[in-house]
Amino acid sequence: MSLAQRCLVAVALLAWLPPAAAALIHFTDKERAAILQHGPWPPALASDRSNRVSGNREAARLGRQLFFDARLSTDGRQSCASCHIPERAWTDGRAMAAGHDDIRRNTMSVTNARFNRWFGWSGASDSLWAASLRPLMDAREMGAAERHVVQLLRSQPDLVRSYEKAFGRAMPRDDEALTADLGKALAAFQETLVSGPTPFDKFRDALARGDARLMARYPMPAQRGLKLFVGKGQCNVCHFGPNFSNGEFDKVGIPVRNAGGDFDWGRYDGVKAVRASRFNRLSRHSDDRAGATSTRHVALDVEAYGAFKVPGLRNVALTSPYMHNGSLATLHDVVRHYSEITAEKLHIAAAHPHPEPGEPLPSRPAESPLRTLSLSPQEIEDLVSFLHTLTEVPRRPALAK
Amino acid sequence: MLRALVATVAASLAGGVFAQPGPCMPERGATRAQGGGYTVHFVASPSPVVDRHFTLNFTVCAADRTASPEEILVDARMPSHGHGMNYRPTITNLGNGRYRAEGLMFHMSGQWELAFVVKEAGATRKIIHVLVLK
Repeated sequence: MSLAQRCLVAVALLAWLPPAAAALIHFTDKERAAILQHGPWPPALASDRSNRVSGNREAARLGRQLFFDARLSTDGRQSCASCHIPERAWTDGRAMAAGHDDIRRNTMSVTNARFNRWFGWSGASDSLWAASLRPLMDAREMGAAERHVVQLLRSQPDLVRSYEKAFGRAMPRDDEALTADLGKALAAFQETLVSGPTPFDKFRDALARGDARLMARYPMPAQRGLKLFVGKGQCNVCHFGPNFSNGEFDKVGIPVRNAGGDFDWGRYDGVKAVRASRFNRLSRHSDDRAGATSTRHVALDVEAYGAFKVPGLRNVALTSPYMHNGSLATLHDVVRHYSEITAEKLHIAAAHPHPEPGEPLPSRPAESPLRTLSLSPQEIEDLVSFLHTLTEVPRRPALAK
Repeated sequence: MLRALVATVAASLAGGVFAQPGPCMPERGATRAQGGGYTVHFVASPSPVVDRHFTLNFTVCAADRTASPEEILVDARMPSHGHGMNYRPTITNLGNGRYRAEGLMFHMSGQWELAFVVKEAGATRKIIHVLVLK
């Protein structure tokens, strides 16, 4: 072996071995089991049976084209990508979204949206295709009338051709059905936006294999933060599973009163909206009404007042600001919020009259699994370090450009 | 008191299913829960895990064969969290003391109390089964 070859081998060995400072903290069996529940990533990519073009590449191409097409909005100035900006992790970096009018909610990223059961901060949609139509039709956001959308689709020969290729049939005469198909094409595109592997995934997979050497390469602050996440903090009770969300809703002490003085009741209104939607999974536009178990059984009760979606945490470091109203600017702010949470902060369900007469009042304090953690400054840093390791290695989604 | 209780089976029971209780033969491998003079045997399918819907097939048998329940409810709560499920199961009376509850979901890990509630003669009997999801 030549000197050059010996040097190359030495360099390779050094690259493979953990750095001198690398070490592995002790995780209990319970903590290890909890950590393993956050993977593997990505999970199996099941198609959405309520969407006949789920997983269809032609539909994804059409959906991508429409996602960036501002002609869908009434004034021709807003597209889906105006708020879901690819370079900003498919969100907009604003506290609250800017559409035709002021919107009282933060823009959620559409990365990994396919893994949701409910969509949006209040879960007002029960499928990705219905969720794609909601902002399109909302007067405060893109403000498109159904008539405007279907006229655009029918008047553009390239869109007509793409539609026929994707759906294998001519555009239906039924405006509502064509609108639903628009949502399904948009969903087929967004399904392709799945985040890539992260440093945490490498650690988690090494744990699954029992590879302590590779596990030790995971930064020590992140290890400590992870231990807090699945231990003292119990963050994983809600931020559960490979996407770090149980897909449900909770009250986390963020005020429901908006700056404008009105109230955002979150999930309570979301359940009402999804039940009333013409495009829910129980509607004639769904391709799998029998499989609409969640929609059929979803409960509407006072526990939903002021509850908002538990967001997934993958790429969370890229999607500031945080919470349903964008009121927390940084991950440090978020961790401090949970650290200092109190029963008083959680008592958001005060006896404010609901705007709709006859609705039950949120008359009692909300109970919650959340407790004051009183984290030390070091613990806050560690948790933030862990959250940063949920950021994927940079890459471009296949259909994003 | 349990809140946010589930779908009811009332009219069909008035036909006498419980006036002449069935053979109370549980499915193989059924879990047993007892309370208030009733025994419930249930089988969950699929086995409950966090964040996934499941169905319960269960039998309700009264120790006192003259008991005539008017209503059967199924609910679940996390006592330490102070909340219940986000879903209301629908209950189907399969006859002969057998029922099916569909649409349940435990959305968090931890201790849950699964409650079968039998209402009869103005009284409410709860049969509680405690389980812990990891």
